[in-house]
Amino acid sequence: MSTTQIQQQELKKVVDTIPNRIKTFKIIVVGDSNVGKTSLTYRFCESKFIQTSEATIGVDFRERTLHIDDEDIKLQLWDTAGQERFRKSMVQHFYRNVHAVVIVYDVTNRASFDSLVYWLDECDRNCFTNVPRILVGNKCDEKLEINTNMAQRFADQHNMPLFETSARLDSECDNVEAIFLTLAHKLKNQKQLIPVDVVGQTQRLIRANPVNDNSSWNCCLRS
Amino acid sequence: MESNSEIINADDETSSTLNDDSSKLYTNSAEFISSEENEDTRSELKFDPVLESEEEKSKRLEIEEALKDGDSALETWRRLALGKYGLVNDDLRRQVWPLLLNVDPDPSEKAPLLAELSQHSEYSQVVLDVNRSLKRFPPGIPYKQRVALQDQLTVLILRVIMKYPHLRYYQGYHDVAITFLLVVGETVAFRIMERLSTDHLRECMEPTMEKTSYTLTYIYPILQREDKDLYEFMDSATVGTMFALPWYLTWFGHSLNQYRDVVRLYDYFLASPPLMPLYVAASLVIDRRQDVFDVGCDMASIHCLLSQIPDNLDFESILQRASNLYKKYPPSKLEKDVKNRVQKELEQRRKDEQRIRRRLDKNRAAWVKMRHYLPNWLLLHYRNKYGLLFATATLLVGLYAYLRATETGFSLFKQGPWNI
Repeated sequence: MSTTQIQQQELKKVVDTIPNRIKTFKIIVVGDSNVGKTSLTYRFCESKFIQTSEATIGVDFRERTLHIDDEDIKLQLWDTAGQERFRKSMVQHFYRNVHAVVIVYDVTNRASFDSLVYWLDECDRNCFTNVPRILVGNKCDEKLEINTNMAQRFADQHNMPLFETSARLDSECDNVEAIFLTLAHKLKNQKQLIPVDVVGQTQRLIRANPVNDNSSWNCCLRS
Repeated sequence: MESNSEIINADDETSSTLNDDSSKLYTNSAEFISSEENEDTRSELKFDPVLESEEEKSKRLEIEEALKDGDSALETWRRLALGKYGLVNDDLRRQVWPLLLNVDPDPSEKAPLLAELSQHSEYSQVVLDVNRSLKRFPPGIPYKQRVALQDQLTVLILRVIMKYPHLRYYQGYHDVAITFLLVVGETVAFRIMERLSTDHLRECMEPTMEKTSYTLTYIYPILQREDKDLYEFMDSATVGTMFALPWYLTWFGHSLNQYRDVVRLYDYFLASPPLMPLYVAASLVIDRRQDVFDVGCDMASIHCLLSQIPDNLDFESILQRASNLYKKYPPSKLEKDVKNRVQKELEQRRKDEQRIRRRLDKNRAAWVKMRHYLPNWLLLHYRNKYGLLFATATLLVGLYAYLRATETGFSLFKQGPWNI
């Protein structure tokens, strides 16, 4: 008797949150101008590097369906404009019903790292739930301006996993894949709209290795 | 030209001599090499040469006649720019665009020096965007020429925002500027951009995009009156207006894949009132109504579909419809609806926020739940003076009750004078 009740409840939850049968998650990608938000999402969704990347105006949208644990889930990536003026009055459109936030900085550009505080603040102000956030340092094929330790410390302080990658290099393709797969796993296993409390957990830097991913998102979920 | 050669000291020779060539360069479209070697799946801007049809030829002759005439009125230029095929080719555009805005191509105004420009707070953002504007240049353009044009573009943009300090640069402004730079050259492009920035695009150049966001809402009342089914479909999918943001900000320059469509639309907009891009946006959505229905009633899918404009659209009929829409539903008739709609969206957002909060609260302690239903001043925040006041009052009432109780002898069961 009690089991059927629970099932019904779960069913209701599923119907409530997923109208298109296939689980869809909205992920927004934020960060300073020219850090490579478009390149990253393009790399993940099209498995290619954009040669002639342009400034994003407003918000661009890409999606990809993944098959995880015998289930299809769809990641919708909303690639937002980096220029600050777009955010002042458009930002609520971007963050509406968002499931996760990817914050990107450019490892060759200190200013983009310094702005992370600003992006976190924007995220706090616009996400009601404590949505999962991940930090991505892009362009690691070039000369590092921000060393990994510093970035890791920042990520730990704010309870985010850190990834360093390059959207340009084909060899890093797996890494980009791993970033979004990690996120997909986390989103899939997380109960809808219940904030994941990761206080007190130190999350480790994950380098292009999907095998190790499990441990990382499990540790976030276990808390 | 003298003023231009001062702008870029280092490579002013290429910069200033290029100016004259640049406008002619793009009329020779036969010389362009197609960009097939580029593997990017995003469609590149296509500069394909198009053979002039009979109709286009007669339009061209008509414009040439008007130009020879010498004292054609503004009305004539407007009629020609709006009508079928617009101004036909870039050679004619170079002559007619300045006439449409009645700008004075006076080259005597000194442009600021590069050193000055680089001090500007928007300088690095402009350079970033200009460097990423490769798609807007004709394929096969020699590297040196492209770099020189990009320098001119940076100068052009910064010159305008330095002359009018209340105007802010936005990503997309460079898409507008480059269209003019390619067609009319540096000097006249500055005059045109100056004029548009203080007129048509002024709203977009405010410190925030609030007004731009508001103005985009016009699309919906137009759809509601013209195509109710489509309106209801898009409204129930909560598509919003973000798909049209780049259209409005760049006059479609950023979103179109074919160069000839871009310049054709610019003919049209230069001869139109400032809100016309929104009518064209509505007209374009109506043109693709079946695609919208087919893709399903889902915000993301519709946004995605609309933001990618296919190459094979018949823009002449889209523009024709836009003109009709403007006549039928001028902005003054829509204002009230726009206002109501913005208000309604605001309320909806507030409701959504509350709903999500409530859902979250299910998993929280009772006192946290209570928080959202209590007015703020009632909460005992340390830093809140009302909270402090409330705490003090509570303490005083407690003290009073205690004193009363001890006065009469403390017992809950003892009959007080009020309980006889």
